[in-house]
Amino acid sequence: MDRLHVDIEKSYDGFDLRLKLEVGAEIMVLFGPSGAGKTTALESVAGLVSPDAGQIVLDDTVFFRRGRLGERVDLPARKRGVGYVFQDYALFPHLTALENVAFSLRREKGRGRAAAAELLESMRIQHLADRLPQEMSGGQQQRVALARALAARPGILLLDEPFAAVDRPMRDRLQRDLRRLQEEMGLVVLLVTHDLGDAFGVGHRLAVVQNGRVEQVGPVEEVIRRPRDPHTAEMAGVRNVFHARVAEASAEGLVLDWDGLRLEAPAQPAEVGDRATVYLRPEDIKVLYPDRRIGESLRANRVEAVVVDLHRSGTVQSLRADLPNGHEVEVRFPGYTYMPLDLSVGGTVELCLRREAVGLLHGPEGE
Amino acid sequence: MIGNALLLSFQVTAVATVAIVVVGLALGLFLARARFFGRTALEALITLPLVLPPTVVGYYLLLLIGSGGPLKEWLGIDVVFTWPAAAIASFVVGLPFMVHSSKASIAGVDPVLENAARTLGSSELGVFFRVTLPLARRGVLAGAVLGGARALGEFGATLMVAGSIPGRTQTMPLLIYDAVQRRDYGTANLLVLVMTGIAFLSLWAVRRFGSS
Repeated sequence: MDRLHVDIEKSYDGFDLRLKLEVGAEIMVLFGPSGAGKTTALESVAGLVSPDAGQIVLDDTVFFRRGRLGERVDLPARKRGVGYVFQDYALFPHLTALENVAFSLRREKGRGRAAAAELLESMRIQHLADRLPQEMSGGQQQRVALARALAARPGILLLDEPFAAVDRPMRDRLQRDLRRLQEEMGLVVLLVTHDLGDAFGVGHRLAVVQNGRVEQVGPVEEVIRRPRDPHTAEMAGVRNVFHARVAEASAEGLVLDWDGLRLEAPAQPAEVGDRATVYLRPEDIKVLYPDRRIGESLRANRVEAVVVDLHRSGTVQSLRADLPNGHEVEVRFPGYTYMPLDLSVGGTVELCLRREAVGLLHGPEGE
Repeated sequence: MIGNALLLSFQVTAVATVAIVVVGLALGLFLARARFFGRTALEALITLPLVLPPTVVGYYLLLLIGSGGPLKEWLGIDVVFTWPAAAIASFVVGLPFMVHSSKASIAGVDPVLENAARTLGSSELGVFFRVTLPLARRGVLAGAVLGGARALGEFGATLMVAGSIPGRTQTMPLLIYDAVQRRDYGTANLLVLVMTGIAFLSLWAVRRFGSS
């Protein structure tokens, strides 16, 4: 059942945001390039900016409403009961982790501190209690910021690029924690990211946002596998997603079998025999010069392909090419890079699918 | 006489400094956060006493609080040649230090932190006292100390609006002038030493607590 209803319009700096979204007790990922209006959407829900028109309603509480009849509701941020994890976390630098988490519990005096300490413990970060933000790593700050946002038991949690400053293993852990907390507290969660891996790792549903519009909403897997139209796919950067079987797995790395094509990948959690969803950014496929020595990093995953489409927009050159296994990949590079290379539709090129960039998309566990 | 001047200076400076802190902080916050037409002009106006000759400041003050001025004509309050007039003069010349210093440090506080406090249930007053002020404390402290020290040393404008009445409006700087006129170098030496000590301590405190 949908609990948060957002239908707003806002114009700023020559940019036009028209956002319509229904969110239930789930993790909804707002996915799209930077500058698409995602952060403004979060700030509108939190009450930090006011839309020009429309409404925002959580359950029976009207956060914002401004209609043609002159009626106007704009609940101040402090009364909305919204937890907000800011990009770069925005922890109070003059307060310790415990004081940061207890910030919203001050009315309860001593009990607020106790409740904050309990929350730190439940998130397994009690050892950070007396540290100042500048004495913590990015991942630690992220957890404290999450604890702080949840301390006052909000009904809705907003997160702005929460995993951007965190390394891979920490990221997986944080994403598991977020899924667990969402479930336990029955939270409505809106999470902004431009990273497909994050969207896949943590989201129940995905809303593709571009140029201030929601282009498509649906379960994460569905949006990625079946973009509504090529336009949506391109905007979301959702290409080169495919299924492959894990053929070998060791500490050195993985070997994937993609319908007959052997692909090497760096070590990541997977077991032999798994069907894995693999994602490769178009920028991570390199065109190789036939007559030049190949650097160490481009030794693996080389394949002959046939160019089926060439497309140039601005300084970016992209091409689509058929691989021997029958699949098509998209390659993108700055237009000036391969000037001397004679590319033409129907011609063959040697491609390198960069080993370091071959990443498995991990859906949340248990699904 | 020295005791009287010391006490009076303390009284005048205390009242002026409290006013400097309260008004200066409000103006500093306003100038750091609000965007409005005439902001630069307002800032220049507040800064004027810093560069104008003290006699000019004193003259303006006389226009405001003297006979024919709004304070006396409209409100019936006559403070000329009393210690409150000295406090007003000290307040006006000390204020620019507080405004500039607190404005600069408040402007340096990331507005995202204030937004974070809002989402955590803080009122605007709560945001200021629990986030903005603690984070801007160094500049605010420096402004208060420098403004207070300037208030303590005020001479020219004070002389014009409060005179130099021993025991009633004669503060330390005025007594020093008086003592030198009377060739009472013992008194002058002692007070000069006291004033220099206080000024040095203020600057030391600003450096010590304001920068680390």
